[in-house]
Amino acid sequence: MNAKRKTLPKGIAAGEFDKAIKELKKILGNENVLEDELRLAPYNKIMMPVPNDQHAPSAAITPASVEEIQAVLKVLNKYKIPVYPISTGKNLGYGSAAPVQRGQIVMDLRRMNKIIEVDPDLCTALVEPGVTYQQLYDYLQERKLPLWFSCPAPSAIAGPLGNMVDRGVGYTPYGEHFLFSCGMEVVLANSEVLRTGMGAMPNSNTWQVFKWGYGPTLDGIFTQSNYGIVTKMGMWLMPAPPDFRPFCIQYPNEADITKIVDALRPLRIAMVIPNAVVIAHTLWEAPCTPVKRADYHTGPGAISDAAVSKIQKDHNIGAWNVYAGLYGTKETNDANWKIIEAVAAGTGGKIITEEQSKGSQALQYRFDLMKGKPNLGEFGLYNWRGGGGSIWFAPVSQAKGSETLKQMKTAKDILGKYGFDYVGEFIVGWRDMHHVIDLLFDRSDDDQTKKAYACYDELLHTFAKEGYGVYRSNTAFAEKVAATYGPVKRSVEKKLKKALDPNNILAPGRCGISL
Amino acid sequence: MNGLSVFRLLAITATFVAAGNAQADSSGKWQSSQEVYNKVCAYCHEANVAPVLTGRNLIPQYIQVIVRNGNRAMPSFRESEISDATLAGVIKLVSTSAPGALK
Repeated sequence: MNAKRKTLPKGIAAGEFDKAIKELKKILGNENVLEDELRLAPYNKIMMPVPNDQHAPSAAITPASVEEIQAVLKVLNKYKIPVYPISTGKNLGYGSAAPVQRGQIVMDLRRMNKIIEVDPDLCTALVEPGVTYQQLYDYLQERKLPLWFSCPAPSAIAGPLGNMVDRGVGYTPYGEHFLFSCGMEVVLANSEVLRTGMGAMPNSNTWQVFKWGYGPTLDGIFTQSNYGIVTKMGMWLMPAPPDFRPFCIQYPNEADITKIVDALRPLRIAMVIPNAVVIAHTLWEAPCTPVKRADYHTGPGAISDAAVSKIQKDHNIGAWNVYAGLYGTKETNDANWKIIEAVAAGTGGKIITEEQSKGSQALQYRFDLMKGKPNLGEFGLYNWRGGGGSIWFAPVSQAKGSETLKQMKTAKDILGKYGFDYVGEFIVGWRDMHHVIDLLFDRSDDDQTKKAYACYDELLHTFAKEGYGVYRSNTAFAEKVAATYGPVKRSVEKKLKKALDPNNILAPGRCGISL
Repeated sequence: MNGLSVFRLLAITATFVAAGNAQADSSGKWQSSQEVYNKVCAYCHEANVAPVLTGRNLIPQYIQVIVRNGNRAMPSFRESEISDATLAGVIKLVSTSAPGALK
């Protein structure tokens, strides 16, 4: 065995692993098979409250084509070695680039980064896994194409394919990313290449415009799963509107969330507001302003309500800060603006327009995200507690005011019990809300790290008892989250796994799916 | 001219006049160390999110270790994203630049 090797996949003998690595090197070249500790270090940086060792890869491989992936899978099937595919490999707070289980080989697809096609007439794109949002942004800018995409907050360094397959969300009218994807190419465990929807038909030119094809629509099973390696994804782009009017509405009290949601829901469902409305709490805004936590709270424990009120007053931040935009022509936006003004006046909110927002770091990054302009402004969150610990707890709720206050209070109580702050926002989808909470902790502090694990566990199970499930989860909790969705769904998932990946080599354990 | 074309023409005028980006490159290959700095590092280190790096004579080896391992809030960056050769150029740029020189 390679003397430097510390980590092996579960149940694989060192000699067998060495043989597999040798074969992989023959396919990919020595430089694209990473084995030594220094080269693997970037794959070990996780933000989760578990030891790095739990998610340490045995190796990483960086194929550059579908053909290479096909050849690699033949070797991995032969030796029954598991592989963990990543695209741009960010997924911060959800597991980063680290495998779901210790010892899996990371298949890093970042080198496959071609923007294969952008059709400016149909407003579609076809991209590979390694394409970043920044790259796509540059592509559209270079060609002066008036098209926008939707991206999540870590947009500059993350990419559309990986975000879509993890069912991430963004902030433009195309913010539900899976909904606006159209057509996938998937390399299956047996090396067959499947194109979904219309892409299955030879010579079809409708792959990126019609999702369903004929018979069962398969795209969904390749999201939040481990049934195949997605190597191409079609996505719809939005025509840049002639007039874009982002705004913020600030509200003074935590209890205002009820009337905010009830007032905005009809506008969202009717698409007067076409994008995902974000309702951000004070403690989401503060780190991105930036405000230093230490200026308001020192010592252990969660920040007090009094300190939060003081932050609001000192920095002109609302208890809730609503972000949305109007996307249209000047005429339609002028008409809809009157509706927004009436809603704000009727609910006691203060509107901040783009003009009035100048100089505010927190508002600027939000307004940029609402037009799909990449930035990393939200990384300010990670400075709040310091220490690089973060996991997202993100239960789904109905877009009803009564639900919000109930969820928020439950979460805040549990977080407070373990000494963590409520750093949360509600993202109003169409009829749902993603209640996104950043559980921030100091990962260099063992006690906080243990508490963060226990806190997430309690949040997950308390919410599940109330019937609230999370829309996405970090890899450390994949099994526990999957269990909250009941046994029948899991049994079907296992049957699919057995049919599509009988050797269990594709990311076993991802989203709780394994043989 | 159909309605969509009019809409798009309006959009070109409204959106892209002010949004020029001299550094734009969509090839998927970094064109210069400055480009990497602008499109990765600067989003935090020139944006009041993470500490300023220029003008501090940071030791090249230190930067290398932090980029590859991450550091607390900072994510790690892999060879597949920024190769060793490209990173060497970025490190040289950062460690030898005067305060504010890379903005």
